Amino acid sequence: MLRMIRSEWLKTRRLAKWLLLGAAPGSAILTVLFGLSLDIGATADFPWKEALALGAVLYGSLLLPLLTGVYAAIVCRYEHFGGGWKQLLALPVSRTQVYMVKLAYVAGLIAFTQVLFLALLLLLGAMKGGTGSIPWATMLSAACGGWIASLPLAALQLAVSSAWTSFAAPLAVNVAFTLPNMLVANSETYAPYYPWLQPMLAMTPGNAYQFGAFGLSPLSLYAVVFGSFVLFLGAGWGAFFRRSF
Amino acid sequence: MNEPIVHMEGLTKKLGGRAVVDQVNASVEKGDIYGFLGPNGAGKTTTIRMLLGLSRPTSGSIRIFGRDIRRERIAVLRKVGSLVEYPSYYGHLSAIENLEAVRRLMHDVPRSRIDEVLSVVRLAKDANRQVKGYSLGMKQRLGIATAMLGRPELLVLDEPTNGLDPAGILEMRELIKSLPAEQGVTVIVSSHLLSEVEQMATRVGIISKGRMLFEDTIVELRRKARSRIVFGVSDPEGAWRLLLVCGYRAEWDRVKLFVEPGGDEEVAAMVAELVRHEHAVYRVEEERASLERIFLDMTRGEGSL
Repeated sequence: MLRMIRSEWLKTRRLAKWLLLGAAPGSAILTVLFGLSLDIGATADFPWKEALALGAVLYGSLLLPLLTGVYAAIVCRYEHFGGGWKQLLALPVSRTQVYMVKLAYVAGLIAFTQVLFLALLLLLGAMKGGTGSIPWATMLSAACGGWIASLPLAALQLAVSSAWTSFAAPLAVNVAFTLPNMLVANSETYAPYYPWLQPMLAMTPGNAYQFGAFGLSPLSLYAVVFGSFVLFLGAGWGAFFRRSF
Repeated sequence: MNEPIVHMEGLTKKLGGRAVVDQVNASVEKGDIYGFLGPNGAGKTTTIRMLLGLSRPTSGSIRIFGRDIRRERIAVLRKVGSLVEYPSYYGHLSAIENLEAVRRLMHDVPRSRIDEVLSVVRLAKDANRQVKGYSLGMKQRLGIATAMLGRPELLVLDEPTNGLDPAGILEMRELIKSLPAEQGVTVIVSSHLLSEVEQMATRVGIISKGRMLFEDTIVELRRKARSRIVFGVSDPEGAWRLLLVCGYRAEWDRVKLFVEPGGDEEVAAMVAELVRHEHAVYRVEEERASLERIFLDMTRGEGSL
């Protein structure tokens, strides 16, 4: 298992590094910075919860779901290109293992992105003069919650990316479903079931916003997250297992 | 007698109701270079994909090293190296990184093996370059290196000379021919080119429209191929009539004159007869393309050679 992850790393490290370190959380923080400079200015202490809530909306509703799709596409990209699946699956490895390693790898990349998000948020706070009262519990649970809530989307995107012999098509689908996130968020009925929105819902600190699906209890959100993860993973793995290469 | 390395029985694969591979039986013995020959679309690649467990047979069985591929796939694949259709590679990685990505998925293959296989396929010099800059021949050679990485006992190479230039084809052929002797492996190599297979295989299986038409040694295939003597003469029709009158079994296709080969004396007597009747004899040659003719007859002219 570990050897397989190391093999995966060898294949994707260049792209992954570039994405992780460059594009992702950096741009989220930039937007947060922009937002904060507008309404807060130089007030006394850094408003951690507000910054997190703002970050969760901008990063959680757009960048995180988009990146999840990108990560899933990356781990399949090199296999679609130049007959990699055939070579990989003609080696003494089980298909289940291959699929699970890909998913674990995507989950790992997302986790790393979350850590970076958190680190940059802390850095930003420190720069803005926020000291003493950092709400660690809220921040950590937002980062972890966002990670857990992005797993169903990861499973779904991996299913799509592995099934389609294309790099761009699953990404386009992902973008198309990510963009209406804020619209869907207004619906209490549908929002919790929308995989592209779940990361944001999980990352928003309680009581930050008072409309749409934001008032949802964490318990029911995680129940839906767990259920859809099992569903997407099962469907994706089943299709992968039965497929001819 | 030892169990064959590969044994297929009644192997069938149906796609959309049509049998792409239909009741194929074949066996490959240890040390063979088994040439799997057939026109494009005959079912070669489909058969090979089933051999490697990439696709499931609709019915029939495959035993490799005496084990059922469907039940013991991983144990079997540990001793099999393969190159399916186009060479598989990760273009953004160097040859060494490509092999390392594969090595990490295998058991007990030391790192030094990478240099060994690279030197066998003579890629050592270009080992650190990105593979996307390789020529097709080099990519194919990298594919062979990847296939040999785990010291396989069975190598399955699907169209390894596809898309290579003549020099590349020659090189690939010499490499494949040297494998059983040097590395002690059994090789299955598929091709749509008879001349290819004829020059490297010890045994041949000919498949067309999913059915196995012939399976035997290359010597036996050659024996089936009858050569014939072709005469180039000034007046073929007249010459044909003359030879028939003289009691020889000649044929004429409006361009050339053929006879079944007899002894040297018989040919000499025919030539003497033609010359005596003032036919100008331009050439007398033995036609050796007859293996091709047999193959075409078997596959009923479909596909190209």
